[in-house]
Amino acid sequence: MGSAMQKAIQLILTADRELVNILSTTARVSLTSSVIALLLGVPIGIWLGACRFRGRSALVVLNRTLMGMPPVVCGLLFYLLFSGVGPFRHLKLLFTVPIMILAQVVLITPIVIGNMETYAAELAPPLRETARGLGFRGWKRFVLLVNECLYPIITVYLLAFARAIAEVGAVSMVGGAIAWKTNVMTTAIMQYTNRGNFSLGIALGLILMVLSLLVNIILSVMQRRFRR
Amino acid sequence: MKLNAIEKTYAGRKVLDLPEITLKSGAVTAVIGANGSGKSTMAKVLAGIEFADGNRPAAEPLRVGYLPQKPFAFRMTVEQNLALNGGDEKKRTELLEALGLMFLRRSRAKRLSGGETSKMALARSLLGSYDLLILDEPTAAMDMASTLAAEKLIADYAKETGCAVLLITHSLQQARRTADEVLYLEAGKLIEQGSAEIILNNPKEEKTRQFLEFYGI
Repeated sequence: MGSAMQKAIQLILTADRELVNILSTTARVSLTSSVIALLLGVPIGIWLGACRFRGRSALVVLNRTLMGMPPVVCGLLFYLLFSGVGPFRHLKLLFTVPIMILAQVVLITPIVIGNMETYAAELAPPLRETARGLGFRGWKRFVLLVNECLYPIITVYLLAFARAIAEVGAVSMVGGAIAWKTNVMTTAIMQYTNRGNFSLGIALGLILMVLSLLVNIILSVMQRRFRR
Repeated sequence: MKLNAIEKTYAGRKVLDLPEITLKSGAVTAVIGANGSGKSTMAKVLAGIEFADGNRPAAEPLRVGYLPQKPFAFRMTVEQNLALNGGDEKKRTELLEALGLMFLRRSRAKRLSGGETSKMALARSLLGSYDLLILDEPTAAMDMASTLAAEKLIADYAKETGCAVLLITHSLQQARRTADEVLYLEAGKLIEQGSAEIILNNPKEEKTRQFLEFYGI
């Protein structure tokens, strides 16, 4: 264990090529999927939270159900859709980075929507009353609401990114954890541990923990600022 | 200025049943009444925040301004909050000075106390151009000095702009100091309307008299 840890630190310090490749694939997948989820989820979440319309409650319940979708179920769904027997097989996306991103977008977007819906539902009524009372209409009201939601948006993004970077079920099923191609931190930790190569697994685990710590520190600072 | 008759029902209970009301432009009309008399519901329906029964507009096509009972500060500075509603720099400064908020003009509005937020929200509303401005207990969180300053600004606004101001208040003293006209509501119905002088000193209706006696006037 001690020597594995020593070797892990050495791999980090010498910027091992395979380690760097895994990190860059992870960054590409997690950053892209979390940004897309944010772009999709923020307006939908604000709309669901701020507007009252027929069928809204059903959509909220549906989204909350999707928030709890197990990553392996999402992975299985995409696998079936894009594998040799699926309707989208001609796209040849299985075991590529784009389908890993797509699967993560489907997993993360409901989390963004759910959180934004909660924030917007709380903020919208007093803001709507005031904005309407000042004679503001349409876009001006929406922009003011988005401005009020700025810190929640940052917090939600960090949550989405944390979920993306730590997710293993979906990316391993649709990405296949192919070395130098679709292997991300979580799938690589599983793979190398199974092979008995603990040092790379530990190195990746350490980096993942440090990233998680950083995300949480940023989250705490944001939440403190939002409370003010 | 004529406001349409309003009826409003919540869960089968009629909470508001008002006839057509005429308001004086360029004057302050105080709406008085006990808790649950329908003052705030009336304000919300007139402002278009809530719909009257049958979705009949209560005050359109007038330009209606409305300051809710719980004022909301947008996530920006005090100055920026005011600038949202227009008005020139000079007017904004005048209002901030009159309400003792000049030293807070660059502060984040979310960090203001309850009374300061009320003052900022009132100043913001007084920057707009309206035919009818509805103020729902705008001074409830203010101290006495600020209340008097706010009352003067409200009266001046009505006179200078020709806007009809509807001031919803729990304070009969405030109605006496500020209002030109008074509306007395009870259980969602208009009991009496007239000049402040008459309603507050010599009301015609027994219900109004009882209300005033109960509140010590």
